[in-house]
Amino acid sequence: MTDEVVHLENISKIYPLVSGDVLALDNISLSIKTGEFVAIIGPSGSGKSTLLNQLGCLDVPTSGDLKIDGRSITQMSDYELTHLRLISIGFIFQKFNLLPLLSAYENVEYPYTLKYRKRDSSGRVSKLLAMVGINEELAKHKPSELSGGQQQRVAIARSLVNNPKILLCDEPTGNLDSKTGHLVMNMLKKLNSRGKTLIIVTHDPGIAALADRIITIRDGQIVSDVGNVS
Amino acid sequence: MKDIIFAMAVRNVRINILRSILAAIGITIGIISIASMGMLGTNMTASVTDSLSSMADKLTVNPYSGKGGGGGGGPPGMGSESDNLTKKQFKDIEKIVGKYGFVYGVHNIRAKVKKGSDEWNTQVYGLEVSAMRTILDNLTAGGYPSSDNSVLIGTRFASDNDLELGSRFSVGGNGVKVSGIIESRGMTMDLNTDSAIVMTKDKYESLFGAKDEFGQANIVLNDINDAETVTNAIESQMNRREENVRVQDSSRMVSMISSSVTTITSFASLIASISLLVAAVSIFNIMMMSVTERIREIGVLRSIGTQKKEILRMFVYEATLIGIIGAILGMVFSLVMGYFFILIMVGSVKYFFTYESLIHLPYAMAVGLVICIFSGLYPAWRGAQMDPIEALRAE
Repeated sequence: MTDEVVHLENISKIYPLVSGDVLALDNISLSIKTGEFVAIIGPSGSGKSTLLNQLGCLDVPTSGDLKIDGRSITQMSDYELTHLRLISIGFIFQKFNLLPLLSAYENVEYPYTLKYRKRDSSGRVSKLLAMVGINEELAKHKPSELSGGQQQRVAIARSLVNNPKILLCDEPTGNLDSKTGHLVMNMLKKLNSRGKTLIIVTHDPGIAALADRIITIRDGQIVSDVGNVS
Repeated sequence: MKDIIFAMAVRNVRINILRSILAAIGITIGIISIASMGMLGTNMTASVTDSLSSMADKLTVNPYSGKGGGGGGGPPGMGSESDNLTKKQFKDIEKIVGKYGFVYGVHNIRAKVKKGSDEWNTQVYGLEVSAMRTILDNLTAGGYPSSDNSVLIGTRFASDNDLELGSRFSVGGNGVKVSGIIESRGMTMDLNTDSAIVMTKDKYESLFGAKDEFGQANIVLNDINDAETVTNAIESQMNRREENVRVQDSSRMVSMISSSVTTITSFASLIASISLLVAAVSIFNIMMMSVTERIREIGVLRSIGTQKKEILRMFVYEATLIGIIGAILGMVFSLVMGYFFILIMVGSVKYFFTYESLIHLPYAMAVGLVICIFSGLYPAWRGAQMDPIEALRAE
């Protein structure tokens, strides 16, 4: 299928430890279409973080095949994986993870500069910042001078700057109060409604309830994969 | 700033400015020590060569005294009491030297000196008064002997024995009077007069014999470059059948002294470079710290698409910046401190602003910078090799 953006076939991930191998992902098969909003839920230790790392090309599976945007990543070099992360995936973290040395504006511009080897002169960075509600004055500040909600909004703008196929969110509201969390979720939902594939890893059922599809993981296996009709 | 990776390196150096400067100071000290040691060496060699070249134009000719069983290479003026240059030999030497310079004969002996009830042995020279005027041209007091009963004495001899102008004492049982005191001449090859008595040739011969047979012939050359020519000429003509005389060339001694000064200063530079080693360790430590405390940042950078090479570049830039700060500080301080250091140690900065001396500055700066970058390399590599997942997990 051409509109499949993520495709997993018999994915296993084994961490070799002295005390014995740990099977973090056990033969997972899964595919996600362009424009889907998928929530991955499960208790801690279930393997959802490991799955997120595979989807985000931060790690490669021990066995099985994983395709991102039609390209198999299992044989990719570190250089290729890094490039794929830069152009195809937008990361949104629980702890915002902005670069402390750079201003909000520069944080958003950074992946753009890495990709195009030049500074942004098209106004894309300013437009994205305006879209997430960060004005020019705020954009000059360092992350440490911004509130949690503001930081996460900057992080969303950063994740979008290279126009990635997939937005990968790891507990995006985990460090925010419920009101700000709501705001951030609305923003992500709006991006999804404009066609961005959204994958959220969470253990918050309230967040999961917003998704079109909920995948539950336990002990490295998918225990349920259901559409959400609410 | 166009390159964002470079901009981040600059900002990190600026945020930790105190730490960066402290690390840079390590490099600065290293640069100062090797640059000033290098400059000191150059200036010392130049100034030693300069002051020694005034004595390098002298040759001494001694009769060969190998038959006595002892070596013939002892200091001049000693061990040649029994053998003298014959009148003919002296004439030959004069003929060979000819236009190259000036030759004078020297009588010398260790003789008994008596003043009051004190009695001791001392070096006694016998010279023509004309030679005294030419060679011993620096008297601190008095004048040249006007009669055979007047003598010149060295400053040390005068002060050690409480002698002054007009003082009387006896040499070899014969009373003499001090007519002049010779200024200190230091270590020289021709005449060591500081603790000696210099009398007229006639007086010497009347006391100790050896009429017209000198113990030593000294040659003062007009041009130092003729030393080898004259030495070869004397040796080939006078030692044709058997070894009769031995020529000592003081320029050889000068080059020996110069080369030992060079050896000493390069040894000092070696020791000074230990401080650069210490600086390297401190840069290594600082860079390791910078990497460790930014593990999480590295994780973020890597996860959003920064290549390993770019992480490496960021930390190498940081080490380079510290190195550049250190090198610039080092150059400024080396110039200032080196100048005063040399002024105190050598006593002259005549050769300070020469190419040979100042070349040590860029050389030391380059060494410092390279060491700085080199010690930043491993920490940078460690940062670049970090697993992004592990790094992101770091607190």
